[in-house]
Amino acid sequence: MSTRAEHSVLLDIARSGDRLVAVGERGRILLSDDDGAHWRQVASPVSVTLTAVQFATPEMGWAVGHEGVVLHSRDGGTTWEKQLDGRQAAQLAMAAANAAARDALPDAEQRLKEAERLDADGPDKPFLALHFSNARRGIVVGAYGLIFTTEDGGATWLPAMHRVDNPRGLHLYAVQRRGDTTWLTGELGFLARADGDGTPFVRIETPYAGSLFSMAFGAHDQLWLFGLRGNAWRSTDGGTTFQQLAVPTPASLIASTLLSDGRVVALNQAGQLLIEAGDSLHALSVPPGAPLTSAVLASDGRLVASSWSGPRRLPANLLGSPK
Amino acid sequence: MISHDTFTAATQPPEMAAFDHHSGSRLERILFNHRVIVVSLCVLITVMLGWQAAHLRLNANFEKTIPTGHPYIAQYLEHRSELTGLGNAVRIAIATRGESIYDKNYLATLQALSDELFVMPGVDRAQMKSLWTPSTRWSGVTEEGLDGGPVIPKDYDGSAASVAQVRANVLRSREIGQTVAFDHKSTLVFVPLLTTVDGRPLDYGAFSDQLERVRDKYRSANVDIHITGFAKVVGDLLDGLRQILAFFAAAIAITTAVLYAYTRCWRSTLLVVACSLVAVVWQLGLLPLLGYELDPYSVLVPFLVFAIGMSHGAQKMNGIMQDIGRGMHKLVAARYTFRRLFLAGLTALLCDAVGFAVLTIIRIEVIQDLAMIASLGVAVLVFTNLILLPILLSYVGVSPVAATRSAHAEGREGSEGSVLWRFLDRFTQRRWAILTLAASLALALVGYTVSQQLRVGDLDPGAPELRADSRYNRDNAFITGHYGASSDVFAVMVKTPDGGCANYDTLMRIDALEERLRELPGVEATNSLALMNRQVMVGLAEGNPKWYDLSPSQAMVNTITSNAPRGLYNDTCNLLTVYTYLTDHKADTLTRVVDMVEAFATANNNDQAAFLLAAGNAGIEAATNIVVAHANREMLLWVYGAVIVLCMVTFRSWRAVVCAVLPLMLTSVLCEALMVWLGIGVKVATLPVIALGVGIGVDYALYVMSIMLTQLRLGRSLSAAYLQALIFTGKVVMLTGITLAVGVATWAFSPIKFQADMGILLAFMFLWNMLGALILLPALANFLLKPTPQAEVVPANSQPTGDSRPVADKSSQPFLMEARQNA
Repeated sequence: MSTRAEHSVLLDIARSGDRLVAVGERGRILLSDDDGAHWRQVASPVSVTLTAVQFATPEMGWAVGHEGVVLHSRDGGTTWEKQLDGRQAAQLAMAAANAAARDALPDAEQRLKEAERLDADGPDKPFLALHFSNARRGIVVGAYGLIFTTEDGGATWLPAMHRVDNPRGLHLYAVQRRGDTTWLTGELGFLARADGDGTPFVRIETPYAGSLFSMAFGAHDQLWLFGLRGNAWRSTDGGTTFQQLAVPTPASLIASTLLSDGRVVALNQAGQLLIEAGDSLHALSVPPGAPLTSAVLASDGRLVASSWSGPRRLPANLLGSPK
Repeated sequence: MISHDTFTAATQPPEMAAFDHHSGSRLERILFNHRVIVVSLCVLITVMLGWQAAHLRLNANFEKTIPTGHPYIAQYLEHRSELTGLGNAVRIAIATRGESIYDKNYLATLQALSDELFVMPGVDRAQMKSLWTPSTRWSGVTEEGLDGGPVIPKDYDGSAASVAQVRANVLRSREIGQTVAFDHKSTLVFVPLLTTVDGRPLDYGAFSDQLERVRDKYRSANVDIHITGFAKVVGDLLDGLRQILAFFAAAIAITTAVLYAYTRCWRSTLLVVACSLVAVVWQLGLLPLLGYELDPYSVLVPFLVFAIGMSHGAQKMNGIMQDIGRGMHKLVAARYTFRRLFLAGLTALLCDAVGFAVLTIIRIEVIQDLAMIASLGVAVLVFTNLILLPILLSYVGVSPVAATRSAHAEGREGSEGSVLWRFLDRFTQRRWAILTLAASLALALVGYTVSQQLRVGDLDPGAPELRADSRYNRDNAFITGHYGASSDVFAVMVKTPDGGCANYDTLMRIDALEERLRELPGVEATNSLALMNRQVMVGLAEGNPKWYDLSPSQAMVNTITSNAPRGLYNDTCNLLTVYTYLTDHKADTLTRVVDMVEAFATANNNDQAAFLLAAGNAGIEAATNIVVAHANREMLLWVYGAVIVLCMVTFRSWRAVVCAVLPLMLTSVLCEALMVWLGIGVKVATLPVIALGVGIGVDYALYVMSIMLTQLRLGRSLSAAYLQALIFTGKVVMLTGITLAVGVATWAFSPIKFQADMGILLAFMFLWNMLGALILLPALANFLLKPTPQAEVVPANSQPTGDSRPVADKSSQPFLMEARQNA
C-alpha cells in the first residue's frame, strides 16, 4: 500500500466478518484483518470517490460512490466488480420510464422527463448511502433523489425514484431497513418510509427542517436521526413523535454506528465521537487527529474509524470512559 | 614567472651614483624616471574613484543567483507576472505572551499594528489580510443556507461579550492555521507587496527597515512579533552587508599585524596596507562606472583583493628590504625589486585571474559578476601593488633597523638554516617522502570516501542565506510551526488554451498529479484548483464529506472556478498553478519532486494542458541545484585544465606539473570532505570556492617550484634546491597563506550563512594549499624530480646559499643515490 493511501480521505468503514473494509477518495478500498492495526489496499475498478460500504454477509458486500457507481464483492472485500454506473443508471431510468409510458401509467410523463434530464446531465450524481438486508435485496440512494433497488444481489437494478414524493429532487443521505420497512432521510428534514417492497414511500413530518445526514435503529427499535448543526433526534414510537437530544457542540452530525449493547455513537464534523447518555449525547475523548467520517465496531470490541487522513483505530478504553 | 633574476639581482652594485637610470626595461624607465607624475596620477585616480565608490549600491537581488539559462527558470520567468499565488508577501505573526489572543489589549495592539502596516508604502492594501480586515470572515451552514460575517463583528467594542464573539467567530471561520495559529496564541498579518511604488521598484531594504521600526514599536512585555517573507530576507541580507565593513576592518587589522610581525617596520607595513587599500578603493570606484553593484557574494571580493595585494606587497617590500639591508639606496633597491619581481607578480596575478575567469562559464549571474569584479580587482592590483608600491617605497624606504635585521636574517638562514627550514627540508628525503605520500594517499582516500556524501543545495531549514539561529529563521520556524504553512513551495505551472483552465479533463490530470506528489516523501501538502474543487463540493453540500470529489459536471466546475481565490489560475484562464509544500528544500527532496513531475508531464502533456516546471522558491532552488551540480564538475575540469596549462608553460616539465597540481587536488578533495563534515552543500556560494582556492593556491606552487627547478637545472640536489626555494620564497609563501586565510576567515562571523561557509572553506583551502606546497610538493619531487644540470659552469658567487655540501659533486650523481645518502 502506498504511504499516501494510508492517509487517503476515507468516508465509510464496514465489517465483513472479522475483516474491516474502508472506502474513500479515488476509489480506494482498504482492508484490515487485524481489527484496524494493519491495512492493505486492494484493486478498485473505479477512481471516483466511494461514499459508503456495507456487507450483507461476511462475503457479499457492496460499495457506492460518485458518478453513480455501485461496486460488489463476493469474497469479503478482496476483489470488486462494478455493477452499476451513472450512465447505466440513466439508461435504466429511461427504459423504466418508457415501459411506464407503454403501460400508460399516470406518472409516465413525469418519469420520462426526469429520465431525459438524468441522461442529459451525464453521470454526475453520487450515490451516498446503501442498505442490503440480505445478499439479494438492496437499495442505493444518492444525490437529487436517486434511488435504485435490486432483488438479485445487484445483477439487475431498478429505478425507484417514482416511489418517492420528492419533486424538488432533495439529496438522500441515509437509508435503513427495519423488518419490512425501508426508511430514507435527506435534505430539508426529509424522512420517508415504505412498508413492504415496491410500495411507495410515505413522507413523515419531522420537527427539524435541516439536512438529516445519518439514521440508526438503536435499542428497543428507537429511531435516531442525525443532521446539521448538532441536530440529534430520537423517536421511540416509530417516527410519530421525536425528542431532541442535547449535544456538546453545534457541529453537524454526519455518521452514526451501533455498539453491541445497542447504544448509538454519532460522529460530528468537529471530529468528536458522541455517545448516547440519557437525554443527551456525551463526547468521548478521542485522541487528537484527523476528523472522523465514519466508525464501526471491530471484532475485538474497539471502534475503528475512517477519517480525512486514513483509517484510525480508536483506543480500546474509549467506550469505557464516560457512562 | 618567478624570475630567475631573483638570484642575480643581489649581486648588483648598490651605489646610487653608479646606478644607470636608463637601465632596466622600458616600462621600468618610464615609471621610475617619472615617479612624481606616476604618483600624482595615482593620487588623482584614487580621489576620483574614491568619489565614485560613494555611489556604489548594495543589492541583494535574488534574481542574480538564479540560473536564468535553465529551461525551468525560463518558463518561470515567462509566466512570472501571472503567478500571483507566488506573489511577494510578508507574513507577520503577532504572538501574545498571555493566555490567548482573545484579549481586549491584544486585539487593540493588533488593530493598531494592522492599521500601521496598511498605510505603509509598497503594501498591496486590497489583498492585505489580518484578523481586523473585513476579508477575514466566518461562515456557517444554517438550515436556510450559508451565513457569515467578519470575524471581528462590526459592533466590536472591546467588551468581554464582544471578545467572546470574536472567539466564537474564529472557531467557525476557516482561519485556524491560516490567520489564527493552531494554539490561538498568535495571529498572522498577511502583507502582499506591490512590485513598484510610484513607478519605482520597491526598495526592500527601506521596507525591511520600516518593518523593524514597527516591530520595535509594538513588541512589548505582552506581545512578540515574528516577521518572514522575501522582503525581510533581502533586508536582513543588506543589514549583513553593512556589517561586513566591520569584518573588513578586522581583516585589515589582523593582516597588518601579521605583516608587521614579519617585517618589524611600521613605515613599509603601512605603505603596503595603504597600497592594498588603494586597490580596493579603485576597484570599488570602478564598479559603479562599469554598472556593477555589490551583492552579498561579490562584497567578499574586496577582501580577496586586499589579501592578495598584501601578499604581493609583502614580496615587494621583502625584496627592497633585503636590498636596502645590503646597503643599497632605496630607489635603486626599489628599481631592482621592480625589475625582478614585476613579471613574477604579473604571472601570479594572471593565475589568480584565471581562477576567477573560469567562473564565468557558470551561467549564474551572481557568480559571473563575482568573477568579473574579482578579475577587475586583480587588474587593479597590477597598478597599485606592482607599480605604485615600489615607487612609493623608493621614496619612503624602510626602517634601517628592519633592513639590517632582514639582511642579517637572510644571511643566518642561508648559513645555518632555521629549524623550520631544516624540518621542511626533510620532506625531500625518501623516507619522509614515502611517509608523506602514504599519509596524503590515506587522507585522499578518506577525503574521497567522505566527499561521496557531498550534497547539492542548501541543507538547513528556513532561509538558507541566513544562519539557522538568525532572527529571521527563528521567526520562520515560529510561523511554520504554528500555522499550516511550509516555507518551501514547489510550483508546477499548467499551461492551457485561453479560457481552458477549468477544463474537467485538465483538472483530472492535475488531481492525479497532486495525488502522485502527495505520495512522495518530503511532500507535506499540495494545493490546486482541482483540490479546491473537491473542497468546495463539500462546502456546497453543507459540509458533508461524502461530496469530496471532482464533479464531472463542467458547469459545476466552472461555477466553482469562477469563485476560486486568486493564485490558482490566472486572469485569462490559460495558466494554472499546482503548489507543492515540502518539508524541506534538501536536494533529495527536490530531485524526487522534479523527477516525478517530469515523468508525469511526459505522460500527460496534451494540447489542452502542458505541465511546466518550475516556480516557487523550491522550484527555483531545484533548477539552481541542477545547474550547480553540473557546473561543479565542469568548473573543476576547467580550473584544473587552466592551472595545468599555466604550470606547464611555466615549468616546461610534466613532472613538475604533477608535483605542483597533486597537492592542490588533495586540498580540493579534502575541502569537499570538510563540506560534508560541516553540513555545507554545493551551492551558488560554495561553487566559486574551489576555483578561487585552486587559482590562488597554485601561486604557492609557482613560487616554490620555479625556484626549485632553476636550482635543479643548475645541477643542485633536490634538498639544496628546496632549501634555496624556502629561503627565497618560503617565508613569503607562508605569509601569503596566512594573510589570505586571515582575510577570508573573518567572514566566518558574518550573519550571512553562505558568506561564513565561503570564508571557512576558502581559509581551509588557502592554508592546506600552502602546506601542500611546502610538504607534499617536495615529497612528490623526491620521486619525480632530479637534478638536470643544463649549465656547464655554475657561477660560484651566484648562490647566497649556506649549503655546505659540495654541490658540484652531487649534481653529477644519480638522484636516487643522493637520496640514499641523505637518508
